Amino acid sequence: MSAAGHALALQGLSKRYGSFTAVADVSLAVGQGEFLTLLGPSGSGKTTILMCIAGFVEPSEGRILLDGRDITALPPERRDFGMVFQGYALFPHMTVAENVAFPLRVRKLGAAERDAKVRAALDLVQLSAFGERLPRQLSGGQQQRVALARALVFEPALLLLDEPLSALDKKLRAELQDELKALHRRIGRTFVNVTHDQEEALSLSDRVAILNHGKLIQQGAPTELYEAPRTRFVADFLGKSNFLSGTVQEVFAGGFAIGAGATRVVTAAAEAPPLGSPALLSLRPEKMALLAEGEAAQNSVAGTIESWSYLGAGYALNVATPDFGTLRITLPSWNAPIAPREGLPVRLGWSAAASVPVLDDLA
Amino acid sequence: MMAHRPGLFARGSAWVVALYLLLPISIIIPVSMTDQRFLSLPKEGLSLQHYATVLGSPEWLASIWQSFLIAVVATGIAVAAGTLCAIGCWRVASRSTNLVRALMLLPIIIPSIVYAVGLYRYFAGLDLLDRFMGVAIAHGVTGIPYVVITVSTALAAFDPRLEQAARGMGASLSQTLRWVILPRIAPGILSGAIFAFIHSWDELVIVLFIASRDVFTLPRRIWDGINENLDPAMAAVAVLLVVFTTGLLLLDRALRRRRDG
Amino acid sequence: MMRRQDLGWWLLILPAFLLMTAFYVAPIAQVLAISFTEPSPGLSNYERLFTSESVQRVILTTLRICILTTALSLLLGYVLSYRIALANPSAQRWWILAVLVPLWISVLVRAFAWVTLLRRQGLVNETLMGAGLITEPLQLVWNEFGIVVGMVHYMVPYAVLPMLASMREIDPRLLAAARGLGASRITIFAKIFLPLSLPGLLAAGVLVFIFSLGFYITPALLGGGKTLMVAEWIGLQILDLLRWGLGTMMATVLVVAILVTLAIFSRLVDMKRVFGGGGA
Repeated sequence: MSAAGHALALQGLSKRYGSFTAVADVSLAVGQGEFLTLLGPSGSGKTTILMCIAGFVEPSEGRILLDGRDITALPPERRDFGMVFQGYALFPHMTVAENVAFPLRVRKLGAAERDAKVRAALDLVQLSAFGERLPRQLSGGQQQRVALARALVFEPALLLLDEPLSALDKKLRAELQDELKALHRRIGRTFVNVTHDQEEALSLSDRVAILNHGKLIQQGAPTELYEAPRTRFVADFLGKSNFLSGTVQEVFAGGFAIGAGATRVVTAAAEAPPLGSPALLSLRPEKMALLAEGEAAQNSVAGTIESWSYLGAGYALNVATPDFGTLRITLPSWNAPIAPREGLPVRLGWSAAASVPVLDDLA
Repeated sequence: MMAHRPGLFARGSAWVVALYLLLPISIIIPVSMTDQRFLSLPKEGLSLQHYATVLGSPEWLASIWQSFLIAVVATGIAVAAGTLCAIGCWRVASRSTNLVRALMLLPIIIPSIVYAVGLYRYFAGLDLLDRFMGVAIAHGVTGIPYVVITVSTALAAFDPRLEQAARGMGASLSQTLRWVILPRIAPGILSGAIFAFIHSWDELVIVLFIASRDVFTLPRRIWDGINENLDPAMAAVAVLLVVFTTGLLLLDRALRRRRDG
Repeated sequence: MMRRQDLGWWLLILPAFLLMTAFYVAPIAQVLAISFTEPSPGLSNYERLFTSESVQRVILTTLRICILTTALSLLLGYVLSYRIALANPSAQRWWILAVLVPLWISVLVRAFAWVTLLRRQGLVNETLMGAGLITEPLQLVWNEFGIVVGMVHYMVPYAVLPMLASMREIDPRLLAAARGLGASRITIFAKIFLPLSLPGLLAAGVLVFIFSLGFYITPALLGGGKTLMVAEWIGLQILDLLRWGLGTMMATVLVVAILVTLAIFSRLVDMKRVFGGGGA
């Protein structure tokens, strides 16, 4: 199949139900052939946005553009978008082949052409042998692939995925993540995915938009969001993070320093808040190291191990510090410098770039 | 854990109530097979002569046939209107559709005597008194609630995402109806059809008011029979009716079990 | 508010709505209107509610029979529902069939069966006389007794359905747990089962009462023309006496009584319990 990606844009999209605002003024652009994921906790408005794109929900305000054409008023059956529903929504009274043929049947394609396309779509998801089965005779993963084949068979302008992997167990989910990603690369269409699973979002997407309480908090490539979260919510929701709060003590070229109690922490940042103002830094647990006796680092803080746990690939330590409360740190276990023990005094060190200033949007 | 079962007293009294419900109905079976010429239990032996009388009587057969035709047309009206209405209400699901649904239930709530009296007057103006279509329309309209109830129940178990999926893939409303919604709720529609059919088949009060000579349904003939001559042929008719209704109910149960299973 | 996308779905509702309006609501509205216009415009028909002894007698008879019927149907229906709710699933199916078959069997057939049993030369009298228990046949039908026997027989299945539905919502583990804690059968029933099944009991009461109010066939056949309830009385006014004003006045009173009963109880009872589920 040729790369036939289309570009989608949301402009000032809002959806209110009575006095409840499900989506508040969201603007987003999805480029041709891009894989965008809307990520957020339940109730963040991500599914409502997807339903607006699909046409099942009428936005209260704002516009939806496909390749620059306004489609806000178009009913769902005229949008030509493929969609994989949560729980798949396969027609239980039709066989797999009939399910996949459904979009072609409504488009009144000839029988021969229809059969050929159904076969190609089932081949694409490696289910050629299952055409005559009923959906309930398939495993969850197979059903998911039927749903994909059905959504792609009519070469839609856009593929919408509503929590496509959430019904599967963890191992299968990882497998299908890889398949989905490969599929996207192979057919080059524009995908819009909704999930609450941050790992899925990071591994699948070209770009992730993080939502909370109906608002778009931050969007960007997965690495950008993980390495440079703009707000406390983003840092907390994507992976785990420690938060260090203090007041700005010094501003220098390419960064600033905050102080809390007797501790000073430097950070690399293009812009700095004014001196004396409160500031919050996000610090990922895996970006800290245990410092040996006399070893120096850009930032360091002493504490004692409060508790620890063994996670197989690594250790997680909770270290009590005088100025920042308990900090969580993870160490690879295969060459851990110490044997963790409660009450053991340690020193933690990290680089200026590891402590990222964030906006405190949870306060 | 042992389930809690009713005690001896509760079981015993439940059996008494069940007998009260079933015994009077079953007593007509032996009565219908009496060898006597009057309403009584068989004395010397069983006889099917009264069944022969009924099935050999042109009047009874004409009434049975007419009732059947009326019930078929009425069921058609009730199923078509009731099913579409239930689907529309289910999909729109707003305060106004709740009102519509309540309106559709009126024929169950308002006594048929009130409707019959109203229709007597109303149909006179439309020249529908003592007409086949008049009775069929009246039975069809009053059969709508049974269909609305069974179809709504079937729709409650229907995954609304299937409808969205169909629309999302480009299906029009009528394609979605024909290919996705109707096949899925067919057992509910059939249940509704069975109840609407029984409703028309058994209906008497309306018929008493809006039909007289040309339309003389089975219940109407039974009514006259009970009021005028209580003979064993009446019991034979009653048994035939019971067998017919029970057969329809067992069919409904079989359908439900297939749907649930 | 109507959404633009819902237009097609509203069109599906339209045929039923038009049919119902043209062939159900309109005739009934006409009945209600006639009660104010015939024989002369005004409230003269309604004055009879306060002046006519026969009108008052019919209403009182109807209320008396309805209340008695409702009470008896609830009692018998409760006993049956209790048994069904606590039966094992396969037995439950048979019990429910025992309720559903009478529910759907023609009311005429049932009235006929009762006449066969209860009349002077009926099976009950013959049996009792044959056994030498009585010398004169008992007057069992064509009076109020006959009406109540027949009506209760008709109403018990209607009473069972809502009660059974609410009893089935009672978690059986609750009863077993109470048993395990040493409660007696009577305590379990009085302190747990009865209070939890009360909504169903109330719903069944409303249903049976409003159905009884307008009941025509059973009272007409088993009352033998001597004990008149409102429905038969209305029929008599219209068909035999051609007193449209009076007949439609009573029909209006009947409808208002039923709607008022429903309105009062809709505050106490979920109406879905009364008229079955299916609401979204």
